[in-house]
Amino acid sequence: MIALLVGLPLAGAVLVGALRGRRGAQGGAAVGAMLLTLGLALWLLVAGAGELGWRWSARLGLRLALEGFAVPMAVLVPAIAAPILAYAAADREERAPGRLLALMLGFVGAMELLVLAADLLTLLVAWELVGAFSYLLIAHYWREPWRPTSARQAFLTTRFGDLGLYLAAGAAYAAGGSLDYAALPGLGGTALGVVAGGVLLAAAAKSAQLPFAPWLFSAMAGPTPVSALLHSATLVAAGAYALVRLAPVLMAVPWFAPAATGIGLATALAGGVVAALQTDAKKALAGSTSSQYGLMFLAVGAGSTAAAGAHLVTHAAFKSLLFLGAGVAIHAAGSGELGRMRLGRVLPAAAVLFGVGALALAAVPPLGGAWSKEEVVAAAFARSSTLGWAALASGMLSAFYAARLYLLAYGPGGAHDLHARPRRAELLGMGALAGYSLLLALLWLPGAEAVVEAGTAGRLPHGLAWGLAAALLAVAAAVGLAWLLWRRGRLLSLGLAPRAQAAIAAWLGVPAAARVLVAQPTLALARALARFDERVVDAGVRATAAVGRFFSRLFSRWGERGIEGVVWGLADATLAVASASGVADDRGVDGVVEGSARGIGRAGTLARRLQTGMAHHYYVIVAVGVLGAVALIVLWR
Amino acid sequence: MGVLTTAIFLPLLGAILLALWPRPTERLARGFATAVAAVPLALLVVAWLRFEGRGGFELVERASWIPTLGVGYVVGVDGVSLPLAAMTALLFLASIVYPLDLRGRAREYYALFLFLESVSLGVFLALDLFLFYVFFDVSLVGMYFLIGGWGHGEGARRAALKFFLYTLAGTLAMLLALLGLYLATEPRTFDMAEIIRTQPLPAGGLYSALVFLGFAVAFAIKTPLVPFHTWLPPAHVDAPAPASTILAGVLLKMGTYGFVRILLQMLPGTFQRFALPVALFALVSIVYGALVALAQGNLKRRIAYTSVNHMGYAVLGVAAAAALLGGQEQARTLALTGAVVEMVAHGLITGALFLISGSVWARAETYEIQEFGGLAARTPALTFTTALAAFASLGLPGLAGFVAEFQIFVGTFAVYPWVAAVGLLGILITAALFLHLLQRMFLGELPVRWNAWRELRPVEIAALASLLVFVVWIGVAPAWLLDVIDSAAGAIIGQANPLAGR
Repeated sequence: MIALLVGLPLAGAVLVGALRGRRGAQGGAAVGAMLLTLGLALWLLVAGAGELGWRWSARLGLRLALEGFAVPMAVLVPAIAAPILAYAAADREERAPGRLLALMLGFVGAMELLVLAADLLTLLVAWELVGAFSYLLIAHYWREPWRPTSARQAFLTTRFGDLGLYLAAGAAYAAGGSLDYAALPGLGGTALGVVAGGVLLAAAAKSAQLPFAPWLFSAMAGPTPVSALLHSATLVAAGAYALVRLAPVLMAVPWFAPAATGIGLATALAGGVVAALQTDAKKALAGSTSSQYGLMFLAVGAGSTAAAGAHLVTHAAFKSLLFLGAGVAIHAAGSGELGRMRLGRVLPAAAVLFGVGALALAAVPPLGGAWSKEEVVAAAFARSSTLGWAALASGMLSAFYAARLYLLAYGPGGAHDLHARPRRAELLGMGALAGYSLLLALLWLPGAEAVVEAGTAGRLPHGLAWGLAAALLAVAAAVGLAWLLWRRGRLLSLGLAPRAQAAIAAWLGVPAAARVLVAQPTLALARALARFDERVVDAGVRATAAVGRFFSRLFSRWGERGIEGVVWGLADATLAVASASGVADDRGVDGVVEGSARGIGRAGTLARRLQTGMAHHYYVIVAVGVLGAVALIVLWR
Repeated sequence: MGVLTTAIFLPLLGAILLALWPRPTERLARGFATAVAAVPLALLVVAWLRFEGRGGFELVERASWIPTLGVGYVVGVDGVSLPLAAMTALLFLASIVYPLDLRGRAREYYALFLFLESVSLGVFLALDLFLFYVFFDVSLVGMYFLIGGWGHGEGARRAALKFFLYTLAGTLAMLLALLGLYLATEPRTFDMAEIIRTQPLPAGGLYSALVFLGFAVAFAIKTPLVPFHTWLPPAHVDAPAPASTILAGVLLKMGTYGFVRILLQMLPGTFQRFALPVALFALVSIVYGALVALAQGNLKRRIAYTSVNHMGYAVLGVAAAAALLGGQEQARTLALTGAVVEMVAHGLITGALFLISGSVWARAETYEIQEFGGLAARTPALTFTTALAAFASLGLPGLAGFVAEFQIFVGTFAVYPWVAAVGLLGILITAALFLHLLQRMFLGELPVRWNAWRELRPVEIAALASLLVFVVWIGVAPAWLLDVIDSAAGAIIGQANPLAGR
């Protein structure tokens, strides 16, 4: 049964492919496959599921199990994906809807595999598959060259993180002989340290934490529904999910908690600043995604995987909604520039739905997003008050950029001829996602804590008495500030010079640094090595040959019969190498050039001779070899 | 005659018949060669079904040859050689089916191909060192003529000559080492099983070190490891595509196979002494090969250098297996199994990539990646097969390369954690270079000159599919392959470690 959680989306992908050219049927099949998966996940939630093994060999195998945080995640992924797929299927301008829907279904299937993974091999398999699907989806509009380039950047950045999982698997296997999650607690200090470092690296890269955060901007090259999916319940969620699953074991490594906290806090604050300054709607959302996952990392580091898990769920609901809303706005305005939107009057329905997402992002009660953020802040305070205040500041930032985003995108005031109106299916998709956000308000009910703790297999922090008041105050202040700036017409620029704003909003120079410090040197090194390979390494071969040539001339002055004949053969052969390799070097910059040039003329002759008199030469050489061998043995004994 | 002997010599018989056939048309010659090449594959499937995986050599067939020198005709399989031989037979069938402009010399071409198939199968199936050496050496001859006779470009003959003489130099070193090993046996024998059982040349002293060195140089050239690789790129660039497929898919494996069969099994103690240097050579090959490949603008040169990178993985796995005489048996077995899977996976994947480059050449007469773009709009089948092979080559899970590389890295980590960690950079760089290749050739704008690009023909698709089906199969459900390889890998690790009492 559990295999069907992976199998149903994949079967849906195949079905969509088979329904080539029939748009409506493809959309129906895609959404249907998601609803079936959702139904199955819910049923397994109630009925319970066994586990599944897929044997590779006596030493390796995949293991899937529906346990711990996997249970709510297995439900969440199709639940979020279904409305997004409906939205994607509704886009009539899409030229290749079949490919888009099929790949998105595959993406979901790979994510379900990742969620169900119960050992590091399965995790790595799913981890890389999710990355590969994201590559194909980001490069979906492949005719424009910059989009595949962006997809490549995104894939390579996250794959660098994947190497961490290889290391983790290597360390776990070397020390414990097993890749099972269940075997990890038994590992010793160093091995567990490598596992912790590897998992943290992989998670930070996937969840777009610093210094990897900018790849999310590259991921914007994909279609809007792809962004909605990969920011909420799939690719980016994978990192935080893995931490929630594995952190309880990894906390035994002394530096793990501080490292996770540090990465999370830095990204939460920096991502918040980026989001607050971005003038592109989708990039602003991308900055906010990094920032929100930063809060989850922070919560994990502060010791509450439950708070992180809860925030992962509420974030998935509101971020997917915000992306679809941004997509509608971009379609309507004909551009992603936040300065050209203000669509509230013309698109009231979309504005209301987007507003629900923005309120959740801003952490306004009674939405679920407010509850989970409150828990994250409480977890931070439980660790140290400095961390708590920092988390609160980050929360304030998110309230500010949520308000800014809403006002600029869907605030009143714009006068437009609309490029496109949202279709009903698109609004329905947004409506479903807004429904999730509203439904998650249930988290405020008493008894929710126990459910969350059970669902994440973690512990929630003890809330502070004044925590909620402080958070509300912070949100109110931030929203008020945004409102004030809006009234003064400075919300877009925040009073910064355009260049400074653009520089900060482009991840504070991190992408440029990555280009200068990593990408360009790697390419330069590759080119230098390629030249080195042609000129120097091969020159060694040619020089050896040249020495042979010298001796061949020397010997050729001696007689031609008897034992010299043998030497002749050897010398000839060496000479042929000289000629051949000399010619092979078209650049010919080294000292061998002259000799090779003369050799060229003879190459043809030699080649012919080797073909006709092959056996002869060959056995002469073999004979020399045998003599040498015998000499060696005789001398040695 | 036994199954294996028939598999080895039937193609040779076919080659002779073809050579004597007065004037077959190209179609007839190809049809005949295809029919002949299908037989060894079928026979090896039979051998696979009969194979029990007891750990030693099975399906052994012997005949007396030169008893006074201890030379015999012995062939057989274990879990290492059976998959390699089967992969060889499959690659030959796909390469022979693959259409190529034969310049009116179809008879000679297919006769050479069948001849080369005979000796290639012989290398992997031979259980007598002398026989192994003969097959190993003669394989050069077949490949030399294929490159020289049907290669394209100015330098085909010179590239063929360089390939021939360079690798011949290696086999000379091997011949010396072979004799050195032979002289240590008592009574004198070339029988592999016997040498493995009696371990005539224990570690220690210069003698065993020199024997090891002779073999190691020969196999390092053949594999090739950096810095012995400079014969490879020109040979590939100028070779006809099916010959490239065989060169990369089969001939390179003779080197890595030698690392396992001879160095690891016959000289385990000496290999243990030199395992770290070998691992470092492999590491250099991995990183250097990948980086140099990244800088290549020529499709075939790029694929050729990724072979250096991938063979580096395989040798790294073997070196990790050899690194200890006792301890970490599980991880070392994993590394060795991974190395053998890498040989099979690389054969299938890179074989497919070279066939693809042949399809590109047949339509464009250029290998310069820069010249292309947007081909996805014209040729979905070529795009799909290339993307599949490229993702497999960069080690994507669900495809064969990952099954190999995961085991190699995880297994190696147990003995050489730093080497494994640095080697991982190889899979990042290969990802960069393959994605760049896919993008540059297939995505983006379609240049006007390729507007009339012909889609792959059914026969090309069939040949590629026959390889890629296995790439996916091994990637998704590798148990059938891993169990066979494990049967030998476990025994080899146990055998190299008599104290572990396996």
